[in-house]
Amino acid sequence: MSEIEFEIDGKLVTANQGDSIISIADREGIDVPRFCYHKKLSVAANCRMCLVDVEGVPKAQPACSTPVASGMKIHTRNDKAKSAQKAVMEFLLINHPLDCPICDQGGECELQDVAMEYGTDVSKFNLGKRIVADKGIGALIQTDMTRCIHCTRCVRFGAEVAGIVEMGGTGRGEGVKIEPFLTEGIQSELSGNMIDVCPVGALTSKPFRYEARTWQMNAVETIARHDLVGSNIYTQTYRGRVKRVVARDNELVNETWISDRDRFSYEGLNHESRALHPKIKKNNKWQETSWEVALDFAISGLKKNTQNADQLGVLASKNSTLEEYYLMQKLARGFGSDNIDYRLDKADLSIGNTMLSNITLAEMESTDHALIVNSYLRLEQPMINHRIRKATLNGASVNTINNKKFDFNYQTDLEILSSPQKTLLMLQSILKSLHERTKTTVPKYLSKLTVDDSQNKIADDLIAAERPVIILGEHVNSNISSSDIASIISEIAALANAKIANLSLNGNSLSAEKVGFKPSNNGKNAISMFTENTKAFLLMDVDFNYDFIDSKLAADTFNNDDVFVISLNSFEDEITLMNSDVILPLAGFYESSGTHINFDGVAQSFSASVKGPGDSKPGWKIIKVLADILELNGFEYTDSTQVADDALSMSSANNNDLVENNIKETDDSKVAVHWQYSPYAIDGITRKAKALQETPIGKMNDAFISLATAKELKLSEGDLYHGVPVSINETVAEGCVFVHTYQSRKG
Amino acid sequence: MISDQAKKEIDFWVTKYPEGRQSSAVMQALTIVQNENGGSLTGELIQEVADHLQMPTISVQEVATFYENYNHKPVGKHIIRFCHNISCMLNGSDELISYLEEKLEVKTGEVSKDGLVSVKKVECLGACVGGPMCQIGDQYHEHLTPSKLDNILDNLK
Ligand code: SF4
Ligand code: FES
Ligand code: FES
Repeated sequence: MSEIEFEIDGKLVTANQGDSIISIADREGIDVPRFCYHKKLSVAANCRMCLVDVEGVPKAQPACSTPVASGMKIHTRNDKAKSAQKAVMEFLLINHPLDCPICDQGGECELQDVAMEYGTDVSKFNLGKRIVADKGIGALIQTDMTRCIHCTRCVRFGAEVAGIVEMGGTGRGEGVKIEPFLTEGIQSELSGNMIDVCPVGALTSKPFRYEARTWQMNAVETIARHDLVGSNIYTQTYRGRVKRVVARDNELVNETWISDRDRFSYEGLNHESRALHPKIKKNNKWQETSWEVALDFAISGLKKNTQNADQLGVLASKNSTLEEYYLMQKLARGFGSDNIDYRLDKADLSIGNTMLSNITLAEMESTDHALIVNSYLRLEQPMINHRIRKATLNGASVNTINNKKFDFNYQTDLEILSSPQKTLLMLQSILKSLHERTKTTVPKYLSKLTVDDSQNKIADDLIAAERPVIILGEHVNSNISSSDIASIISEIAALANAKIANLSLNGNSLSAEKVGFKPSNNGKNAISMFTENTKAFLLMDVDFNYDFIDSKLAADTFNNDDVFVISLNSFEDEITLMNSDVILPLAGFYESSGTHINFDGVAQSFSASVKGPGDSKPGWKIIKVLADILELNGFEYTDSTQVADDALSMSSANNNDLVENNIKETDDSKVAVHWQYSPYAIDGITRKAKALQETPIGKMNDAFISLATAKELKLSEGDLYHGVPVSINETVAEGCVFVHTYQSRKG
Repeated sequence: MISDQAKKEIDFWVTKYPEGRQSSAVMQALTIVQNENGGSLTGELIQEVADHLQMPTISVQEVATFYENYNHKPVGKHIIRFCHNISCMLNGSDELISYLEEKLEVKTGEVSKDGLVSVKKVECLGACVGGPMCQIGDQYHEHLTPSKLDNILDNLK
């Protein structure tokens, strides 16, 4: 693009042909007032607030939609520009209620800011103002549409970014209203961003309503760690509590957006079931106690119950911090146990299942073909899905291989249904097709396989693409052949020159992998711990109902009288109390410093935004003290950053052993079940965030079964399948039940 | 429910636009559907038009609420579209509208008790030179006065 030269407020600057005046003004630090312009959205030029004077043009021009031209002389603050801006401001305020004192946007309102500078004290308008009745758009976004200035940012955000056309401008002239057609709530995993883009108080956070004034709060830079992206956020705190979460710009990670999960999950921190004080169980009775007593009780119970060190099992959820993983494995290994794991929801724990990704978030959006395997990407990893959506807007095609058809917010080309037990075979056929097409030798174990048209098309599309990516999602975790699936995908990627995005390692799994938070030698894993005589457990942030792939097996073990369970947990629900012997109250998200390693392998550290409630303490400190009491060496830390330094300097523990490929006999006759939690039920804090649970996504509760399979299982529509209503549906693969729910596996 | 006959008519209009641009036929579609439904639209009908033209429902709603020629409440057999824009207003349209409202015992936007007429305020109909004016069916009535209006109403059946 050619560079051009022009003048803005007397300063000679250069820009590319086609750049808008406003983008150059922003770059030069010149403040041009605006409402409808947003750097990530298309240009609407409907608010007219950005009018500037361009020499030689009779009327003031909107800076957001006027491209710069060579030799242009632009004035953003001369009389002509200012009087135009003031006039627009006056019109905008005609119908605005000016209810700033009771408006949650007050103090961070673009309208308020601009009115301070361009408005006048007295209004010439003395007629009745317009009032708009609110329709309500769900549990997350509060609407006060009388305040709306019709900038259409929210409408454009929906259509362009979220991929849902739900909000629109109805009516005409003075009667224009911004509203959705239906009022069941905006159905998007990114809806909360409408709050951020709305320049006024028309759209505000519903859970935050009247909680605090914006200027009373402290903003702390931190990281959300529900997914692999590690979106950059601010927590806004008031009197020691997180009151709101908003997005923080980071072009490489989350751009300007965050998912609703990252935005509203903080509500879980203030849940009534928070564990506030250390508790010990004596003679089957719980008693609150001091940290000292509880820690001693924990250690002596642990020592008593383990005749040899190998009887200790250490488990953590996939959302712990790098520091917590590091110290816990160090404690276990120092103690002499290699029974360590975080992969609580995986059916196949072979070592080979740690295929790593080799593409970055930013690269995702320039891919030209994506093959999505076992993933409802949109709900699983909203920000990664957003990158793929952007790629599709630039012409990328998408094929999927899933247990069920899903509602992606972009066009998909070929959607193949494949039950979990057939997925490996399906991928092997595709691999064979690729071998044939690339004229490479078909390995013996594939020779007998047949390949059908759709598998050929998948192969063709991969080969034809220049920058293809294969995405493996978290539905693979419940598959007993997930290691084999991963290794076949690696082979497919190698043959097709495709990149790999392994999203089955979700949450903060990459931190766990980094420090080797899984058995390295002959240690027991998250399944064998329960079958092979483990007598004491140290658990970090583990939810007994939700987290285990076989929760009955786990519960039976924990409940056993001669098994001693130390729970570091932020919540004390009934089940935690039933299964534990000691509860050590754990500081939750945003209450502890830590590190999250994201999809790009970037370690993003954060400090605590607030102190944990009651006596709760950060996980890394609890583990350190436990190790001290056990008299283990190497725990002389005074600060979590020292822990992070040690953890990050570990050489990667990942042994990417290839598994031997062959055709495994899989039992086709049995119906496979995939139990998928709704995105708002994936971890403890999110599950306790109330508003999220009230959204259509949070209320998902269906056991999808095809007609034939339902007949086989003797189920009909509306029956309960382990507590979840059956929905007979032809968008789900034969031979499998796809349960999509907020309910725990234990029904 | 949109009848098959109406769908056929809509599809005829769809063929007038390039492949994939079927949403361009939305105005004709709404008109056809409104005529079939006795002169007004409902939420369900808007939803059906959206489904038929593969458009987001809100986009159809935007069109249907933007133009005055779509009605969202039941209407009378005849609709008196009264212009209330500047030229007509300066020549007394407001007074005439009040006169109509009183005489028919309706408010603008409502249907007279006998179901015969409803009154609607519309924007400039391009007959400013003859203001105040109104449109009934395909007919413009210009230079209106109360007695002229009486006359017109008497002739409506
Ligand atoms: S609700 Fe907010 S973002 Fe949407 S159009 Fe109104 S002012 Fe703009
Ligand atoms: S910002 Fe330019 S017209 Fe709204
Ligand atoms: S103003 Fe009434 S017809 Fe133009």
